Amino acid sequence: MNRISKLGLAASALALGACSSVGSEGVGYSAYSAVPVKRVTVGDGSMVVSAPRPWNRHRPIFFEDIRQVEDWTLNGPILDGISFVTGLKDGKSLIRQRRTANQQVPVFRSNMTPPEVAAMIESLYRVRGGSVDFRTLSLQPRPFLGANGFQLDYEHLDDDELWRRGRAVGAVIDGKLYLVLLDAARSHYWDATLPDYEALVASAELRRA
Amino acid sequence: MCARCLEISRRSLLVGGGAAAAALHTGVASARVRPQDMVPLVGPGYRPTERDEIGLWQLMERAEEEIAGSNLLIQDPKLTGYLRDLIGTVGGPAAKDFRIYLARIPEFNAMMFPSGFAVVFSGLLLRMRNEAQLAGVIAHESGHFLRRHMIRSWRDQKRKSDLFSIGAMLAGIGGAGAGVYLGDYVQLAQLGTILSLFQYSRAMEAEADAMGAKLIAETGYPPIEMANIWEQLIGEENASARYRGKHRHKGGLFDTHPSEGSRMVDLRADAAEITVPGKPYDNKRGHYLDMINSIRPTLLDDQVKLNDPGASEYLIQTLAQDGWDGLLRFYEGEVWRLRNRPGDEPRAAQSYAAAVAYPDAPADAWRWHGIALMKQGRATEAKAAFARYLTMKPDAPDAAWVRQMAG
Repeated sequence: MNRISKLGLAASALALGACSSVGSEGVGYSAYSAVPVKRVTVGDGSMVVSAPRPWNRHRPIFFEDIRQVEDWTLNGPILDGISFVTGLKDGKSLIRQRRTANQQVPVFRSNMTPPEVAAMIESLYRVRGGSVDFRTLSLQPRPFLGANGFQLDYEHLDDDELWRRGRAVGAVIDGKLYLVLLDAARSHYWDATLPDYEALVASAELRRA
Repeated sequence: MCARCLEISRRSLLVGGGAAAAALHTGVASARVRPQDMVPLVGPGYRPTERDEIGLWQLMERAEEEIAGSNLLIQDPKLTGYLRDLIGTVGGPAAKDFRIYLARIPEFNAMMFPSGFAVVFSGLLLRMRNEAQLAGVIAHESGHFLRRHMIRSWRDQKRKSDLFSIGAMLAGIGGAGAGVYLGDYVQLAQLGTILSLFQYSRAMEAEADAMGAKLIAETGYPPIEMANIWEQLIGEENASARYRGKHRHKGGLFDTHPSEGSRMVDLRADAAEITVPGKPYDNKRGHYLDMINSIRPTLLDDQVKLNDPGASEYLIQTLAQDGWDGLLRFYEGEVWRLRNRPGDEPRAAQSYAAAVAYPDAPADAWRWHGIALMKQGRATEAKAAFARYLTMKPDAPDAAWVRQMAG
């Protein structure tokens, strides 16, 4: 949940950045590492994808990130991002949150239908992404990872006054949610990253344990 | 480093400004201010004459330009015209000078800026039960302007702390005037800083309350609605906090945080004092609903999808005191569905079933009713519900998925 988690991440990233400045010169800390153009595992390691060109993977931050969620970006999380959800279990949410927060991202349930997963994604943007307007553009069946999945297309206006567009292709397999999600500024960055995203979705496979 | 951490978006300007400056939520007086003592300190066409206030107005003109150009504003001419008419009615002597903007932010807030423009959040329109309540909030905000609270509080703040000076403010204006472009971030951050200088004291809030009650009573709205607004706000905040197992913060004597309870008591006393026996008062609920009817589903949607079940359920129950309809029953179901605790699925299903029995049930109620029936294994009924949904909304974005289900 790339852009969404970055506000929360900022504090941790800043703290780690401060630590690294104590270390030897030239060894800076980066919140990102390069993704090579070859088959790589994502999330908790249960999904394999091939990127058509190098992307940047957000380093997981302890206590902030969910193990089953991995975020990539090409031009920075404000402009574009791809998130992989690899087997989110029943009763878990897409993002770590305080139990006492007034507004909460709904938890995933194994028996969710695609409209329910779509509504969960919408609330994620509204609760944690600062979206003031969220429009579902389409929800249609689409095979994913060899299962009967769905494709959700949407756009949202965020509190930084930027319209962003997103696509989520996913499926519930053995009661767990698998999802690849693209979210990018509607002007330019959406078109610029959609082919990569589609290549990633097409290359996605479950890794047999 | 996250760039957005440095960014002051217009929304955070609005929200920040609202929290610090405009403050429906801040302050309460220790002694009640009587409505009849509230005399407006500015007349029609007021313009500042003193140097510091002139500088302030120039900054606010820039702030207004930014806000007026924001795509977070709702531009519906019927709604914006309605708000303009309303502030033009209850705005006292400055009524015709005020500007008012409606921002799509699902929170209970409204604010008045020092140069006489107000911003109302869409979440306020959802929470008001009638026109008298909305007029009350707008009159309260107008009261801050009419009693010159912004410049007074700014001068008070300045005396207490030497953090900011008029010089610094004017230097900012000078920089812009000299054509030095500092970038939006810097300009907005500066405006945000200046807005945060206005903190209304409890006494000022009490003045605005009393002035607001007086203004709406003079216009023929029942002044008791001012007190009802606070009752609803306290109720909602309590419900939200209780639901998440917290205590709502309670203001104390040495606390600058709100103490809406005592504010409500004062407003009840105000209302009793200024209500003229035998005079007809009208809360204009029917007119209010006519005006916001087109946006009401959006307002409910924006609130309920935040998945704050305590607050949303409280709001729906409050609105339903004026009568249940298909829209409210549907969103009651949405609250349970998004909460998704054990037992919530059948609870939501009941609400959807109840919603579709009303003639005004939205198309989405039929879709979710269909999904609930499908999950219960009632396939034939589910298909009928899906068919109804597609008839009502043939170009629904999820028509492809629904058709597959109805197939």
